[in-house]
Amino acid sequence: MKVEILHRPTNSAAKCILGPNEEVTAEAGAMIAMSADTSITTSTYKKEGGGVLKALKRMLAGESFFLNHFQAGPRGGEVYLATTLLGDMMEFETRGETLIVQAGSYVASEKGVNIDVGWQGFKNLFSGESLFWLKISGQGKFILSSFGMIYPVEVNGAYVVDTGHIVAFEETLNFTIAKSAKGWISSFLSGEGLVCKFEGKGRIYCQSHNPNSFGYKLGPHLRPRR
Amino acid sequence: MKAQIDGSPSFAHIHIDLDPGESILVEPDAMASMSAEIEMTTRFNGGFVKGLIKKFLGGESLFINEFKNPTNTTQRLTLTQPTPGNIVELDLNNSSLCLQPGAFIAATSGLNLGVRYAGISSFLAREGLFKIEISGTGKLFYGAYGGILEKQVNGEYIVDSGHLVGYDPHMKLKVKLAGGLISSFTSGEGIVTKVEGTGKIILQTRSIEGLADWINPYLY
Repeated sequence: MKVEILHRPTNSAAKCILGPNEEVTAEAGAMIAMSADTSITTSTYKKEGGGVLKALKRMLAGESFFLNHFQAGPRGGEVYLATTLLGDMMEFETRGETLIVQAGSYVASEKGVNIDVGWQGFKNLFSGESLFWLKISGQGKFILSSFGMIYPVEVNGAYVVDTGHIVAFEETLNFTIAKSAKGWISSFLSGEGLVCKFEGKGRIYCQSHNPNSFGYKLGPHLRPRR
Repeated sequence: MKAQIDGSPSFAHIHIDLDPGESILVEPDAMASMSAEIEMTTRFNGGFVKGLIKKFLGGESLFINEFKNPTNTTQRLTLTQPTPGNIVELDLNNSSLCLQPGAFIAATSGLNLGVRYAGISSFLAREGLFKIEISGTGKLFYGAYGGILEKQVNGEYIVDSGHLVGYDPHMKLKVKLAGGLISSFTSGEGIVTKVEGTGKIILQTRSIEGLADWINPYLY
């Protein structure tokens, strides 16, 4: 698969160029256009990304994460992918390393890339923030997106990131959930709440904007649903 | 302190390198990431009473955060704003600027964040009964939804309420109908803000209320 990211960083879209019969897996709803002889299957009942038990596990956990598998025809083809919010996209490649990815940032991956939905490292602590996490490993290319721009941070020591700004981080980093200030009361009053503290050596990919903050800004102006 | 604004104009965010001992005042929730060595403390925005006035009558945050570098090496702090848009760094030199609620992002320690009575007409224009005035000497960072326009005004100028970001403190805000009683509402402009005086006004090219008005018909 060859990937070209177009219209960075505001209106990014990924053009995936596939060889004959080559496959790409993408988050449901990400496809905006593709060659006519490309076939689509969904992972809830097929392919290595799913299996009935795993799909059931996702549904029980309230994590409806469906994957579409696109397979090019015998002459190869193209698939264009994009996300809902304005923002950036980046191409990554894993050669056995593991990256923990905020599920909303996942866009697509090659066949050799494993996506594990069961990673529970953060789950209980962020129950209010509808975030869940994917563990990406294996061999191959994958594409992640962000709300705003992606900026990498090389950690050697300790670094703090607001949970809404995490796109992905290398598994070599240890993390703890920390208070943003020294005391609990000021952590709560500060508006920063709980933050993620990373320790060790590795890279974090942050997004410049926080979808939750944008939602809180816009929400009060929206009329209630009937 | 070294500040670098990246991602302009759509996704502006600020990378700030704090020198040893330096501190900066920051709007709640503006911190995206930072070195774990940096200490954050929270306090009332200009004291308890002023803080309450700002919160309930000026539409500002009740609290403000101070980020301080207690180490003897430079430490990085990255700040942002809730909306996509641009951010401006402004050097104030014994001068002041009024900002609309939500525009303030950060100020260096030489600046004072005050409140001033803005008048009933400002309140009626839904711009708040009090206004937020940043004064002193230092660096001020403010942001906007969309791009930022500056306009030098001499006399009177009309601004759509949701698009005003800031203005020189001695300027007055008044509420006004965009046209006659009927055309004001049929034109889609409704009530606008009239700015009076001599000085600079700062505008944003998008408005959150405008986006909400566009989305609302689709919610059912």
